[in-house]
Amino acid sequence: MPISKSISTLMKNSSWIRAMFEEGEKLKKKHGVENIYDFSLGNPITEPPEALKEELIRIASSDAQGMHRYMTNSGYDNVREEIAQYQKEITGLPYTKDHIVMTVGAAGGLNVVFKSILDPGDEVIVPCPFFVEFMFYIGNHNGVIKLVDTKDDFHLDIDKIGAAINKKTKAILINSPHNPTGVVYNEAELQELIDLLHERSKKGQRIYIVADEAYKKIIYNGTKLPNLPGMYEDTVNVTCHSKDLGLAGERIGYIAMSPRMKNVRSLIDATIFANRILGFINAPAIMQRVVSKFQRSSVDIMEYQKKRDAIYDILVDAGFEVVKPAGAFYIFPKSPIPDDIQFVKTMLQHHILTVPGVGFGKSGYFRLAYCVTMDVIEKSRPYFKEVGELLRNGQK
Amino acid sequence: MIISNEMDQLIKDQEGWTRRMFEEGIRIKKLYGLDAVCDFSLGNPDTEPPETLRKALIDMLSSPEVGTHRYMSNNGYEDVRENIAEYLREVHGVPFTAGHIFMTVGCAGGLNVILKSMLNPGDEVIVPTPFFWEFKNYINNFGGIPKFVETKEDFQLDIGNIEAAITKKTKAILINSPNNPTGAVYNEESMKQLASLLNSQREQGQDIYIITDDAYKKLVYDGIRMPNVFQMYDLVLSVTSHSKDLALAGERIGYVAISPNIRDMDLLVSAMTIAIRVLGFVNAPALFQRVAGKFQRTSVSIADYEKKRDTLYAILMEAGFECVKPQGAFYMFPKSPIPDELEFVRTLQQEERIMVVPGRGFGREGYFRIAYCVPMEKIIKAREGFLRAGDRYYRGGK
Repeated sequence: MPISKSISTLMKNSSWIRAMFEEGEKLKKKHGVENIYDFSLGNPITEPPEALKEELIRIASSDAQGMHRYMTNSGYDNVREEIAQYQKEITGLPYTKDHIVMTVGAAGGLNVVFKSILDPGDEVIVPCPFFVEFMFYIGNHNGVIKLVDTKDDFHLDIDKIGAAINKKTKAILINSPHNPTGVVYNEAELQELIDLLHERSKKGQRIYIVADEAYKKIIYNGTKLPNLPGMYEDTVNVTCHSKDLGLAGERIGYIAMSPRMKNVRSLIDATIFANRILGFINAPAIMQRVVSKFQRSSVDIMEYQKKRDAIYDILVDAGFEVVKPAGAFYIFPKSPIPDDIQFVKTMLQHHILTVPGVGFGKSGYFRLAYCVTMDVIEKSRPYFKEVGELLRNGQK
Repeated sequence: MIISNEMDQLIKDQEGWTRRMFEEGIRIKKLYGLDAVCDFSLGNPDTEPPETLRKALIDMLSSPEVGTHRYMSNNGYEDVRENIAEYLREVHGVPFTAGHIFMTVGCAGGLNVILKSMLNPGDEVIVPTPFFWEFKNYINNFGGIPKFVETKEDFQLDIGNIEAAITKKTKAILINSPNNPTGAVYNEESMKQLASLLNSQREQGQDIYIITDDAYKKLVYDGIRMPNVFQMYDLVLSVTSHSKDLALAGERIGYVAISPNIRDMDLLVSAMTIAIRVLGFVNAPALFQRVAGKFQRTSVSIADYEKKRDTLYAILMEAGFECVKPQGAFYMFPKSPIPDELEFVRTLQQEERIMVVPGRGFGREGYFRIAYCVPMEKIIKAREGFLRAGDRYYRGGK
């Protein structure tokens, strides 16, 4: 066989995703794409801001030499300088360009971080439900993922996290705003988490908080994201511009290492080195230049908030139990029947494509990605109602 | 410790001389001024992308299609892959389709995706030496074991050595032609011998893949043609990038071409789809996929590189160095006049302000690498320095 055993296991485990995808494609062919309400993909339809598109043209038209050559593995100095400046503003911490490493998106950044910090057998705590790729990012570098259930409202369960920490714990990976639930962790619960980690650091065990902040700007009703690096010294922020600037296909993001971290230089060196040997080499040149100028911009967040309100209203109206998300563009309702795969299949028959909760480590739920047009959301209303009624009748 | 022990060890062990010299170079450049230094240490071409490419890029950005910057399927845009397949059909006479092409984040990304897809821990990959040091890291990333095999005096493949290195654990041989650091282009004859060696292994039930790093495939001189390995052997994966031929190194764009003769192609593509995702690449950068799709038949000026090669080679000969004349890429790998090439490289840097990379950075002591992807003036400027070094070592001059 040409392929490795570990990859072949991964393929088998994800075979249901493919089955569902193919089923969806079949239905699209049968009923027409416009009659299928596809909430299965986190691929935002939003376009980058107009000003960003103009800046791209300006950069491409520049007569300057060397715009497309290699640069240092960490990225352009002036780009990192500008991002450090932005980090300084939002955290009040003395970031310099050295604390920033440009990466091939957040997925690239997380792989670089885990390659840098994990020895075989080291554990990384991940609150569950979770973005299932995390399991691979940790496994790639021989780490062990320790899933810890969150509370009913998807907020952190500090007691459970405390119980999961042991000598092997190297990091906790949090993702807020969260995929798949849309929850945003508040300052109080993060402080509790940090208190817990400080108890360990007093005993000589440093545990990183690795924060996947891919959705950090997609946050509603004026909620503010707590200043994690300001609260905890061993914080590594990983972010990307796939969502906030609509550049998912261009693979651009960065790692920001807290200036308060002790021996931060060795982590910086390790991440730069990992960026090279994992084959990223550097983040794409032209996109580095662009995003450095758009740290303070984002796609229209109000648009997303309106969509969140609409889909939440539709779901509640149809009788679903659901936690109202505070950020990102996902919503994670309870499945009316325990078997979420079965339920997702049923919804398929009613023209709605979603992902079962088991794909995020949590059966009995399903995920909707509402980064689609408002039109799709509005038109899906009767179908959700249909499914809701069907189940209520079934339960009678 | 703040970083993993494994990473700490890797960093300490690193003989990634290229980078170390780069840092040292910055120091020297600051000290003496940019103009005074001839830096041949980095394979970072000074060439600009072809003018037509720059125009096409501006056009593309000026009339953007909706969705241009979104995610696409992990293996890349279908129309881009079809364009590339069409080009490869022409070049190789093999029935490539879009399904055989997999867009990657450069060659380095492509190699990591392939190795992640194929290697079980302990699997061996044969690598002819001298070699591009990163290959070792790429193979180690996935628990594979690199098996280094010496090439011949002229840096051509030594089939006897390769045969002796094959074990039950051998999964692939990774070849890089035109070669970094030697500039050697493996000739038709040696490739045929390799194919027939591997075919006889297949008859005994062991499939060994040829993975070709073709990053320099368009940079060949003297009118020679690259051997058509797809016609010689079934189990071939070619990895390429447009860092060199289109001068887009910083944009990270390349692709893997999978031989249509690999029977388990679908399985391999599924594995690579997972690998590119879980390794965090997700997909090759969208914008430059579109560019690459349009410029398969284009490249920077090869004649310019050939002139640089000729000029540098003549200088080295004049100075008295021993060197195999390269037929491709933009590297030359002369013998060091003294066995300790590190000492020689340091002296060259300090006395002549000429920066090159010691051969041990490529697994071969006693040699040094010159990357001549620099302006012609720099090559000419370095002449006197090389001549003085030649005098010093070969003719007992001061």
